[in-house]
This record gives sequence, structure tokens and C-alpha cells, in this order.
Amino acid sequence: MDSAAESLSLMRAMSLADSPVHSSSSDDFAAFLDADLDTISDASADSEEVAVEEESILKRVKRRKLELPDGVINPESSSSQGEPKEDLGESSPKKNTCPHPGVYAGMCMRCGQKMDDESGVAFGYIHKNLRLANDEVVRLRDKDLKNLLRDRKLYLVLDLDHTLLNSSRLADITVEEGYLNGQRDALPDNLKSSLFKLNWMQMMTKLRPFVHAFLKEASNLFEMYIYTMGERPYALEMAKLLDPGDIYFNSRIIAQGDCTQRHQKGLDVVLGQESAVVILDDTEAVWGKHKENLILMERYHFFASSCKHFGFNCKSLSELKSDESETEGALATVLKILQRIHSLFFDEGREDDLEDRDVRQVLKTVRKEVLKDCKVVFSRVLPTNFPAEHHTLWKMAEQLGATCSIELDPSVTHVVSTNAGTDKSRWAVQEKKHLVHPRWIEASNYMWRKQPEENFPVSQPKNK
Amino acid sequence: MFFHIVLERNMQLHPRHFGRDLRDKLVAKLMKDVEGTCSGRHGFIVAITGIESVGKGLIRDGTGFVTFPVKYQCVVFRPFKGEILEAVVTMVNKMGFFAEAGPVQIFVSNHLIPDDMEFQSGDMPNYTTSDGSVKIQKESEVRLKIIGTRVDATEIFCIGTIKDDFLGVISDPGATS
Repeated sequence: MDSAAESLSLMRAMSLADSPVHSSSSDDFAAFLDADLDTISDASADSEEVAVEEESILKRVKRRKLELPDGVINPESSSSQGEPKEDLGESSPKKNTCPHPGVYAGMCMRCGQKMDDESGVAFGYIHKNLRLANDEVVRLRDKDLKNLLRDRKLYLVLDLDHTLLNSSRLADITVEEGYLNGQRDALPDNLKSSLFKLNWMQMMTKLRPFVHAFLKEASNLFEMYIYTMGERPYALEMAKLLDPGDIYFNSRIIAQGDCTQRHQKGLDVVLGQESAVVILDDTEAVWGKHKENLILMERYHFFASSCKHFGFNCKSLSELKSDESETEGALATVLKILQRIHSLFFDEGREDDLEDRDVRQVLKTVRKEVLKDCKVVFSRVLPTNFPAEHHTLWKMAEQLGATCSIELDPSVTHVVSTNAGTDKSRWAVQEKKHLVHPRWIEASNYMWRKQPEENFPVSQPKNK
Repeated sequence: MFFHIVLERNMQLHPRHFGRDLRDKLVAKLMKDVEGTCSGRHGFIVAITGIESVGKGLIRDGTGFVTFPVKYQCVVFRPFKGEILEAVVTMVNKMGFFAEAGPVQIFVSNHLIPDDMEFQSGDMPNYTTSDGSVKIQKESEVRLKIIGTRVDATEIFCIGTIKDDFLGVISDPGATS
């Protein structure tokens, strides 16, 4: 039913010397062939035939023209499998046993059958017409994990804005930032290679210091994804700046349109097992279901518009003509953490199989080392009517390995307070314990290292 | 498969074009409207090779537009189910690979790639046999069989397979010979 010769005569029949039978859907192959065989060696445009057929042609043409605006998918074309005798041969299983692992452009990718349902997950970032059934996603994730673990790699999902770079609309550039608009040669060295002006998007982008080295090192340990809440064209442009050779991300760029839930990022569109994914993002709220995989990054505010957006009244890095440190900045720190997590995960000394290990456990373990052996009491920090254990700072301190308590006792090591005049604060000074501002806990969280307590003093209360 | 057929189309022309160059303008408009479009019946209209005839113009009631039925010869490309095609690989990922044969995009899922070929990620993701003798990567040429087609207004999509005899890589861009 599908030899070239028959297809050829099919086409010829369609072109001109058609009888009205052919105006019906080409799915009706049997009728088609019948008509074809009737009008014997027809093909070539016979002018007499043309004159006779002209009217029916005009009718058909009109009908065709009516059909086209009907919708994007031309109904009469679809998949040419209306043929009665269907045997696809050894290459693909019969349609009734095919598990339909996924759909490409409305056709099952294994048997070619037309499928229009919306089940499964859409992977529009790989190709706009691709959907995969849930079973297939599970199967692919398993298979891919084995491959990746064999290469000793894990998955890393990276956010763009405020994590790897900072963008600003050209319209929002302040007067003090005006020097950024100048000639490239006039810019200081560190900006020459990391500041980009994208006129067609009316934007300026500054890459975070150390980002290229970070990506290069991380690519040896992780298969990387970009996952941004920005739109696809923006995401692709940023990927070009970060990854000009297209080796780090290669069709693993997920944008806002690919999220299955509004305002939430999810690992359902990532083809990797959740137990092997580490996420780097500056916003915790969007990763509602995957907080355990998340490493929270300190936000990168280079442009004034970024500072303003988050309500900071201070001058931005660009206005101060300064930048985050390359060697001590957030990316350098987080790279060390990632390397630590990687080596702990692939530790030879462990008894369990690689597939049974969970990177979330490793994250918890590493986090708990930051403030271990610390016992923390809060003063004038937690609201009085609020159960203390639910407070963010309390939970953060516990995640970092500290023990939290409401009451003072000799084993307490740190008193966290905003006011040096409280009873607990004075007790701390008296007993030679550490008295620190709450930001000490937050900084330790971002830097994954216990911060020097002397950097976070608590101010003395003003005398009335 | 390519075909050289005669098609007909009713072209509408605005009265401003009436004059000496009427026929040329009609032909130019036809080319602009038709080349590069797709239809389910004929497939992708690649190029117009000649005009067979231009019928009598009919003035439409209500507007001043005139409708001419134009018969023209053109080359069309339409893939068929079961057809064997050569295509160039454009993207390789863990789900399979995408290839292009002219204006047609074909997806070959990993279910329809021989079982002895494994996906290798990396700088140049590819599918390779266990002994490394056969490799499918970007820019490789492959011979594949179409198992399903779908047409929309501007593009044709196909599902293909290389799991049959005589299908697979024709030439490898990385090969030394």
C-alpha cells in the first residue's frame, strides 16, 4: 500500500484529472485507488479533460480554500495511516500494543498513530511539539541517571536573574550608571568581558564575577540546565552570553512558558531523577515542592534598578563603580560547596549503591556542619505570640546544625538579638558568650560557613 | 518524495494592478502566496516552474477585485508513510534525534533506534554503538523510514525509524575517510 509507484499515481491523480471522489479525505485510500485505476494512464494534463473537469476543479478549489482557514492542522492530511491493511512490519509494533511513550506533532513517536490528547508532560523546550507520557519520563529518568552516574555526574539546575547575572532595562539606567553606556574601550577591564548591551531587547546585562570559571568547573561535575522565569527569547539570549559554544546547556534551557504551574518552578520538566538534582536559585518561594534540592544564592544586584526593585535604598554596585569579589564572591563559594557535595555523593567508602543515594541527604549533611556545636537563643527577634520553632530564623539555624532554645542555660553558645539592652543580651556579655545580630545566621546560610561573630555586633540601645 | 504537478489557484487581484503588467503582477503574487506553503494534499510547494494558463478574470460583486483562475506547474515535496528518505541530523538528545529532509522535520525517537546504540551526552551529544563503529551526531546523514506524517499551515512533521535493515547512518561528518 505504500510503494512509490502507487504514491506517484496518487499524486498525479490528485493534480488534475480527478473525479469528485478524490475531493474527499485522502484517508479513503481504497476509493482513491479505485478511481485512479479507472482513469487509466491519466497524469498528463489533457486539455480536453481539463475543460470538462474545470467546473469540478473550481468546486474543489473552493472547498479547499474553505478548509484551510479552518485551523492550523489540515484535517485531510494528518497521518497517512487510514489504509485498511495495516502492518508496519518489524520496525514498529502494531498499534494496539504500542505503549505510546510520547507524542511528537500529534503522532505517537513509536507507531505513528495520531494522538491528540494532552496527557503526560510537555517538553516544549526541547522541541515545541514534544510531549512525553509519564511512564516514559520515568523510564528516561532512570536510564539517564545510570548513564550520568557512570560518568560521575549529577544534575544542576541554574537560575539566571540575580544568580548568574543581573539584567536591567535600558530605560531604567540611572544617571550615575550612564558610564556603562559609553564606548566599550572606555570601560574598566572587569566590565569589558562581562557587560553586554542588547539593543534589540532594550536591555543591558552584567554577568556575575567568576561565572565563566564556575560554569567550566561545574560542567565537569554536573549536567546543567537553565531554568528561568523569564521568557524564552530572553533565556536563549542569556544562554548565548554564558555559553557561546553551546556546550554547557545544549537544548536544556527551560523558560517561563515551560512551567506546568503558574509562578512555580518544578522538576517535572527536568529529565533527571529528583534524588540527583541540585538547584541554584536566589528565590526560595518558586521551588515550593523542591526546597530540599535548593541551594539558596545571595542575590546579585549590579544595576540600580535591581536594588530599587527589591526595596534597597543603597547605591548599587554599578553606581559605586565596584563589583562582587571574583575569588570570594557567591559563585566561588557555591562552587566549593558543589564540589564538596559531589565528592560526598560519589564517596567510594559508602556501602550503598550509587542509585540509592540521594543528593538531598548530602545537602542536609553538609548544611548541618555549618553551625554544629552551636546552641542558640533568640532575644527580641521572635514575635511573642508565634510558636518559636516555626520562625524562619529558628528553622534556618536548625538546618545549619545548631540547636535552638528559648531559655538560657550554661550550654548556650550564642545569643542572637537585635538589641544589646535585653536581659538575655546582657547575660551573654556577662557570661562571655557570643552576642550576634540575626544577620549572622543568614550570612552563615549563604556562605555555608560559620561567619566570624565579631562581624555581626549588636547595637547598643539608644538612651531615651 | 518530489513531484512535478499542475495545480490551480484562484488569484485575487486589486484593480490598482490592472494595466500593462497585469500578468506579471499576477504571477509575482502567485509566487509570493504559494511558494513555501504547505497543504495536506500536496505537501510542501517548493517552487513554481511555470504558468500553464491564466483563465478569464471574474469581477467579484461588491468589491472591485477580480478573480483569475491560474494553472501553474510546480515542484512539490510530500513525504509518505513508508517512504525511505535521506535526512541530515539537526539535534540529538536523550529522547532521540531530529533530522531534516528539505522543509520536513523528522523525529526519530530512541524507541526506533537500534538497541545497540546508546546515547552519549557531552559536547556533541550522539548515539553510538557499543564498539564505537557507528555514530549519529549533528550533521550526520541518515537514511530513515517515515512511519507517520502531519501537516500544518507551514510545516510538515514526520515520525521516522532507523530500526530496519539498510537504514541508519550514511555518512559521518567526523569520519576520517
